[in-house]
Amino acid sequence: MSQGAPAPATTLRRAMGLRTAVSTSTGLAFAALQYLAAAGLVAYVAGDSAWISIGVAGILAVVAWSFFGELNGMFPTAAAIRRYMAGAMDDRVALSITFTYLSTIVLVIAADAFVVSAALTHVLHVPSWLTAVWTLALLGVAVASNLRGIKAAGWLQDIATTVVLAATLVVSVVALARSGTGLHTPLQPLHHHSGAGFLESVALGIFLYSAFEWVTTNAEEVRDPKHIHRAMLIAVGILFVVCATMTTAMSHVLTHAQLITAYPQLSLGQRAFGAAGLWIMTAVTAVTALNTFNGGFITASRFVYATAREGSLPPALARLNDRAVPWVPVLGLGAMSFVVSVIVEAVGGSGWQVLVAVGAALESMIYAVAAFCVLRLRGRVPDHHRPFRVPLVRVVAITGVVVFGLLAVVASVSVGNRFDPVPLAIILVIGLASAAYTVRVVPRLQAAEAARRAARPTRRRPPRTPGGETSPTVPPSVS
Amino acid sequence: MATTEEIAEAYADWRVRCNGNPRLAKMLRGWNRTVHLMTADDAGHFTIVVTDSVLSELRIGLVDQPDLVVSASSEDFADLFWGDLNPSEKYISGEIVLAGSSEDVMRLDAMSMVAFLDQ
Repeated sequence: MSQGAPAPATTLRRAMGLRTAVSTSTGLAFAALQYLAAAGLVAYVAGDSAWISIGVAGILAVVAWSFFGELNGMFPTAAAIRRYMAGAMDDRVALSITFTYLSTIVLVIAADAFVVSAALTHVLHVPSWLTAVWTLALLGVAVASNLRGIKAAGWLQDIATTVVLAATLVVSVVALARSGTGLHTPLQPLHHHSGAGFLESVALGIFLYSAFEWVTTNAEEVRDPKHIHRAMLIAVGILFVVCATMTTAMSHVLTHAQLITAYPQLSLGQRAFGAAGLWIMTAVTAVTALNTFNGGFITASRFVYATAREGSLPPALARLNDRAVPWVPVLGLGAMSFVVSVIVEAVGGSGWQVLVAVGAALESMIYAVAAFCVLRLRGRVPDHHRPFRVPLVRVVAITGVVVFGLLAVVASVSVGNRFDPVPLAIILVIGLASAAYTVRVVPRLQAAEAARRAARPTRRRPPRTPGGETSPTVPPSVS
Repeated sequence: MATTEEIAEAYADWRVRCNGNPRLAKMLRGWNRTVHLMTADDAGHFTIVVTDSVLSELRIGLVDQPDLVVSASSEDFADLFWGDLNPSEKYISGEIVLAGSSEDVMRLDAMSMVAFLDQ
């Protein structure tokens, strides 16, 4: 039997079906920040042809899907990212990359809290300083519900994601139909733009698909392991249709001034259905954030918990409250998100564009890392069970490393339509901090854990007798 | 390879620790689950039923439809129940394989952590 072959199939009483896997993958990717990212793509980079950039980014996301498909098939576990990266590279490098990648979740939660707050401030016509109050309230509710162990049920998540996507699609189509004019340059991606500008738009387009692969952390709860693989592909298709339609509508019916606000989706709603559209899109934005908070808090806090239990983060991060929730990571995540959100608000217009650029660069980086892992593991563990294999792996994976690496660099030095190294600086700071932590702190934590174990009394398990039996100390409890 | 008796003995000790832990009783309140334990080295399969924070006796064989399935070597099961190994480490290294919801997995890990480390 090859390595990693699955255990005999057992049907779980509560298992995730394909529909919920699709809604999870799509919901994790479709954050409220996507509206701003799409509007930014239109306003600064691609204009009427933005949908082409989104299409090219979608094709690249399908290539990334093939990498995650092979890796998830090899390691169908929530800890997959730790396993395939540790198997493909030095563990310290793997941990540094993982911590850097994890920061995307903080950025997206922070950005979503800000986007919803900005939308509320706009529709309620209240002073802008209240945005920070809304943000604090939203994150407070998210933290409190997480600490109480409340998680949106699968069916609720299905409904929420469907409502968000359907409403966005309908609003976009109606806004287009009501505009009464044809598109200006829908098939000319280089009209008024250079080749470099198109590359930049594809790099930003990658962000619209970011986090679709996080559904792999649900690999242990699906009814059929193939569901995760299929769900990711379906999610990429859905994201393309919704995002392409939305950007086309935005480019066609919104002014530049509307596109660069923190709530372009509200203006789109207003163009489609008047005042009612404004409220519809406010509600949709809030539901979008609900998805992000639900998935983001759980994914990040549980990952931090597992890493702390493993001994690579301080033991305090593995402390559980009475509802078996790792409360320190949840509180930390909420606090960090609030700080980032306030900074974004204080910076103003370019703040969320920087977050989009950081997110796009980190997403491209992780796609490149996944391509590298696929290639390296083919060499290191050729006999490992692989339900799905990337075709022409050498060509596809090397191309993936080069293309996604290039897009990561392009995204990290582009804000709006200008050269700006701030996203790169942020990524470098996060990356270097992660590397310094991994190199300097993790060995000390591991040594402390080893010392704790050494100080413990001997193994509790009774030694075996010469006949191979343990000497019973407690009466067996078997029925 | 650990024998059925060794696993049963280890589980009996674990069960006493878990059922006697007031913090764990709070943590598992309302948590009613059927857990299948499957040994990867053919040392047998077992079932545990948790009913409102109380662990049942170890049943030999797979009973009912599970909420959670844990697959590991028989040695790892025995060490886990005696508190001699960190299940998270084994899980991340792929030596313990789980099937079930992330909340159920968290609670299972919490049982070993609280029972032995009281964290």
